[in-house]
Amino acid sequence: MSDSLIEQSVQRLFAEEVDKGVRERTEAGALDERLWRLTVDSGFSLALASEAAGGIGESWSAVVPILHGIGYWQVPLPLAETMVGALLLSAAGLAVPAGPIALIEQGQGNDLSASGSVASLRLRGTVPHVAWARHAHTALVSLADGRLALIELRSGKGATCEPQVDHAGMPADTLRLDGAACIAQAANALPLAQPVWSLGALARSIMMVGALESALEQSVRYANERVQFGRPIGKNQALQQQLALMAGDAAAARMAALAAAADAPSSAQTDAPAGAFSIAVAKVRCGEAATRATGIAHQVHGAIGFTREHTLHFATRRLWAWREQFGSDATWAQRLGRLAIGGGAKGFWPALTRRRFEGML
Amino acid sequence: MQGLRISPGLLPPECEALRAEVRAFLADAMADVPVAKRVRNWAGSNPEFSRKMAARGWIGMTWPKRYGGGERSSLERYVVLEEMLAAGAPVGAHWVADRQSGPLLMRFSPDVLAPRFVPQIVRGEAFFCIGMSEPDSGSDLASIRTKAVRSALGWVINGRKVWTSRAHQAHYMIVLVRTGAASENRHAGLSQLLLDMKTPGITVRPIVNQLGAHDFNEVTFDDVVVPHEHLIGTEGEGWKQVGAELAFERSGPERYLSSTQLLLEMLDAADANDPRHAVALGRVVAHYATMRQMSLGVAGMLARGENPALPAALVKDQGALIEQAMPDLAHELFGGNAPPGSRLEHAMRYTALAAPSFSLRGGTREILRGIIAKGLDLR
Repeated sequence: MSDSLIEQSVQRLFAEEVDKGVRERTEAGALDERLWRLTVDSGFSLALASEAAGGIGESWSAVVPILHGIGYWQVPLPLAETMVGALLLSAAGLAVPAGPIALIEQGQGNDLSASGSVASLRLRGTVPHVAWARHAHTALVSLADGRLALIELRSGKGATCEPQVDHAGMPADTLRLDGAACIAQAANALPLAQPVWSLGALARSIMMVGALESALEQSVRYANERVQFGRPIGKNQALQQQLALMAGDAAAARMAALAAAADAPSSAQTDAPAGAFSIAVAKVRCGEAATRATGIAHQVHGAIGFTREHTLHFATRRLWAWREQFGSDATWAQRLGRLAIGGGAKGFWPALTRRRFEGML
Repeated sequence: MQGLRISPGLLPPECEALRAEVRAFLADAMADVPVAKRVRNWAGSNPEFSRKMAARGWIGMTWPKRYGGGERSSLERYVVLEEMLAAGAPVGAHWVADRQSGPLLMRFSPDVLAPRFVPQIVRGEAFFCIGMSEPDSGSDLASIRTKAVRSALGWVINGRKVWTSRAHQAHYMIVLVRTGAASENRHAGLSQLLLDMKTPGITVRPIVNQLGAHDFNEVTFDDVVVPHEHLIGTEGEGWKQVGAELAFERSGPERYLSSTQLLLEMLDAADANDPRHAVALGRVVAHYATMRQMSLGVAGMLARGENPALPAALVKDQGALIEQAMPDLAHELFGGNAPPGSRLEHAMRYTALAAPSFSLRGGTREILRGIIAKGLDLR
């Protein structure tokens, strides 16, 4: 699939199939099985998975339109999670299971522990904020020792799901694992120390860019249409300055996310020395942009943007959800900051141009 | 909204060899330069340093060989610039000539003025300043009143320019003057002239800034006579010509790196185990990395002959935000606790006082955001 082919099919599918009703029904608790089937049939869920595992083996740059589209059209599907899961499993030489995949990184906001021999690995612990867990068939767990483990979620054995939602009303469930058995395991093959956390952060960054651009376009359109004091409110310099700042944040977020996509490891290109750095940068920059841009978008829209009826909240609530998922901008910033301080004045500029701090994974 | 998008820029491998060469040069040339001088960044000038750069072929790097240029890629030039700025090298003397005066002369006077003046720029012997703002014309540049009248002897200039950086050190000025009446189109009737700063009738008076430094000047013109052939480009087209310079002026690495020396001092003073320090400085790292990609992206667009006027405005607006955030962050983390006379204290003092200018020079924040708003179809 060429870039433009992916872009065209994303456009066709999401623009036609995703509307307010689809989003609202998902918020009410139902997964849109038809929409999920259409995205799977379009090859999106396996776009990053290796060709050997039946995927398309695309780079992160090539799948940017899919992830951006999830944000731009506010697509309510476990698609990003499944794409990341399929990439990690296939790169590690494991088969990619059917159905949506949920993602867990051991030690990131959970007390997950692993026990038992290699042959009979068991997982225990409470894992909050697992996106889409209730609809997922399996969960991919990245263990702190560098292994990947796949667990079955639908057998009813050793895993219970307590429904919760994120800011956007999308599933972000609490999983209780009580001796859940692994159905497959292998060493992580991509050069990232916390592959689920990092690639989840990358996917959320690209999704945030889509949602930021949706919020910006809605805000500009509204500013040009809404007339007060005899002219469109967008003619006021006060609003123009705010929207220009928002555009700057959106452009910066876009650049950070594209750079991270270009630097991130894929199934075909596992050597990615700048991946960890650029992903951290993207999650920080996109998260900060989300914070400022949501405020401006709502201010420009006035009271109408505060209603359930208006569509702005589909974008802004997702930005509030995504800026905190897979590590908030503050937590990723702390990671970058520790390394930068460790490298001191001497290390800073060489690290910035190499896009890598000493010892970074 | 497409016009606001920046295509990512990628540096080809030959750039990294050049980067190593520049770093080796800087390790030697900057070895004994104290932080008090490094903090000045591109506001610092040292003609000797400029000539050393010229000897390496790092002034006019991308220009045609017939003008003495190096015909290297604009991305290679980008690497030299970013390395110089990150090190706090005193590149100010030749900065304006290299960034915009040379390109302007080659574009609009390729056969008359460029062959005479551009080779001098490349050798590090001709420094330029730009006469634009006037006492009553700041952001509203089209309202300038300095006049040039064609006479038998040449153009006769009368008027006054202010905020002219380094007019007291420059050999030449490119001055924007009114040569015709403003019509319905208030941008009409403006022209650019090249002027030798030794011409009789020019008076340069210092305007000392709040740092106590002499950087900009007031320049008055009393019947200053400039040869006819010193008209750059077309009479009356000055506004358009100035506009063409701005993409170069607004997107370079100097638009986000101005406070770098303070950042470096903060990194040395910070405690990695203090979350306040780590989070705040980590955010700065993310901004730097992103600004670098954006600035590099615009450099790539310029190299491909695209017109990134809008993205350039965006880069400068975003870049000034991070540059100006730095002294406030230093205050937040270290205010009142920097050891007296320390490098950190020096960088804090200097950058706090210098920072207000970062969103004024080269187009104010408000003007830039107006340009961006126009790009969003809000005007």
